[in-house]
Amino acid sequence: MLEGEKVNKRFGGLSAVSDFDFSIEQGQITGLIGPNGSGKSTLFNLIAGFYTADSGRIRFNGKDITKFKAYQIAKLGIARTFQIVRPFQELNVLENVAVAAMYGTENMPTISKGKEMALEILKFVGLEAKKNTPIHDLVAVEVKRLELARALAVKPKLLLLDEAFSGLSDTEVKEAIELIYRIRDDLGITVFLIEHVMKAVMGTCEKIMVMHYGVKLTEGKPEEVANHPGVIKAYLGKTHA
Amino acid sequence: MVREKAENFKANDGPIQKWSYVVVLCIIFLLFAFPLLKPPAYFLSLLFTVFMYIALTESWNIMGGYAGYISLGHVTFFSIGAYTTAVFMNRLGVSPFATAIPGGFVAAMVAALVGIFLLKIRGAYFVISTFLLAVVTHLVFMNWNFVGSSSGLWFKLLPVSIEVNRIIFYEVMLLLAILITLVARWVEKSKFGVGLVAIREDEDVAQSVGIHAPKLKLLAFILSAFLAGIVGGIYGYYMSYIHPDTTFDINISLLILLMAFFGGCRTWIGPLLGATILSSANQVFVTFIGAEISRIFYGLLLMVVIIFMPDGMIEHIKNSRVVKKWVAE
Repeated sequence: MLEGEKVNKRFGGLSAVSDFDFSIEQGQITGLIGPNGSGKSTLFNLIAGFYTADSGRIRFNGKDITKFKAYQIAKLGIARTFQIVRPFQELNVLENVAVAAMYGTENMPTISKGKEMALEILKFVGLEAKKNTPIHDLVAVEVKRLELARALAVKPKLLLLDEAFSGLSDTEVKEAIELIYRIRDDLGITVFLIEHVMKAVMGTCEKIMVMHYGVKLTEGKPEEVANHPGVIKAYLGKTHA
Repeated sequence: MVREKAENFKANDGPIQKWSYVVVLCIIFLLFAFPLLKPPAYFLSLLFTVFMYIALTESWNIMGGYAGYISLGHVTFFSIGAYTTAVFMNRLGVSPFATAIPGGFVAAMVAALVGIFLLKIRGAYFVISTFLLAVVTHLVFMNWNFVGSSSGLWFKLLPVSIEVNRIIFYEVMLLLAILITLVARWVEKSKFGVGLVAIREDEDVAQSVGIHAPKLKLLAFILSAFLAGIVGGIYGYYMSYIHPDTTFDINISLLILLMAFFGGCRTWIGPLLGATILSSANQVFVTFIGAEISRIFYGLLLMVVIIFMPDGMIEHIKNSRVVKKWVAE
């Protein structure tokens, strides 16, 4: 579904992503892990069109999207959330989601149609009761949920989740994982997520890629990755490995 | 086909009673009929200025309020409209009432050209760049002989008495103010307006949900300039003489901005309120208190609003307990 071929991105002298190959299979939940500063978010920004790769190629359903802008990529059906939540502050919950419904792949033509669709999505993620709440009255987990709802309102084929579990309690993480399964199973959306909460990644993902200093360390099934010596070294340092 | 009722995007707009439409229509009717009372010409020109600032502030607000791109270059588009109209009239003998619209088109074209570059800049840098646009266009018109350079341009007067002249311009500007306010209102309630609001809130996130931000911003900028250009055309003809120092006066841009912020720039009602209050207050102060002291009053009024109602008067009124109680009843 999504393929990257020798993707490179440099910031000045720093090579944030180098010769990175990846592929996301339709219907699979794929995870991307790695220590801080390993280039995970940069890779997401490259896929979502926030940055343009210096070299290499990214293909979505066979289409070359390497040079596409963010709004073109959203229209093609790739939606994303942000690591640090970024709701539209002056809009309430329903309005936040309605914007995405009106401009996403379904292109709802009027405000009332957009709000109708937004309400359905709020029901799906369980925020329906908060639809008229201003953003500053939401608690952290609800803002995360809203961020997800807004991405879902784009009606994407592929969803990029940038640390959807960070800052959540254990029970909240459990709920979020359930939600991700429902997104995949009920909505048929392929999920690609970046994660720090190891337990969550091991529990949800069918395939995991490990990134370190912008290169791929390894990839495979969760248990394979967890026992990979390179991964342990990258996470714990040389002496402890 | 059932026409869908236009819905407000922002939820906190209170219910609008049917009678409020009747009140608004009555006010509009009375304003149109006002010249029949044969008021002194002074009142007509006072109201002409009020209408002009309503029209300008509403047109500015499409870009400045909805999309959050604070432009100080609005006076440029206003003046380009005035000059285009003057040139059409003097060189081709076309009536300014017919060329005000082409004046708008020329302003829109200029907006499209500069917009492609200017709209890549965000925040304070955009404000500074548009300020420079106003300064540079002023200088260009000061030195451009084709448009009269520093000696300005004259319009041929309408072949009617001065009173009738005043009445005609009064009615035209009133109509223009109403139409532009309706355009601003339509934008606010349309998908286009929602996209602009998202851009104001967070341009990167807006793009991530599929909003073509560069296109929407450019369209808003062009629409805003087009409307200002039409207003400029009528203004130039009304003044009968235009000079770069008066039409390109950066104070016009500043006044527009202040009026929008004064009233509240999130809705179409804010600029209407702000422009009406500030431009009438300004004129009343100048007439009855004197130009020097009126500046102090004007400044005080602004300070009070900015300190106590930072989101503009309209938001303050909406959230006040009295109004909430009144709406609830």
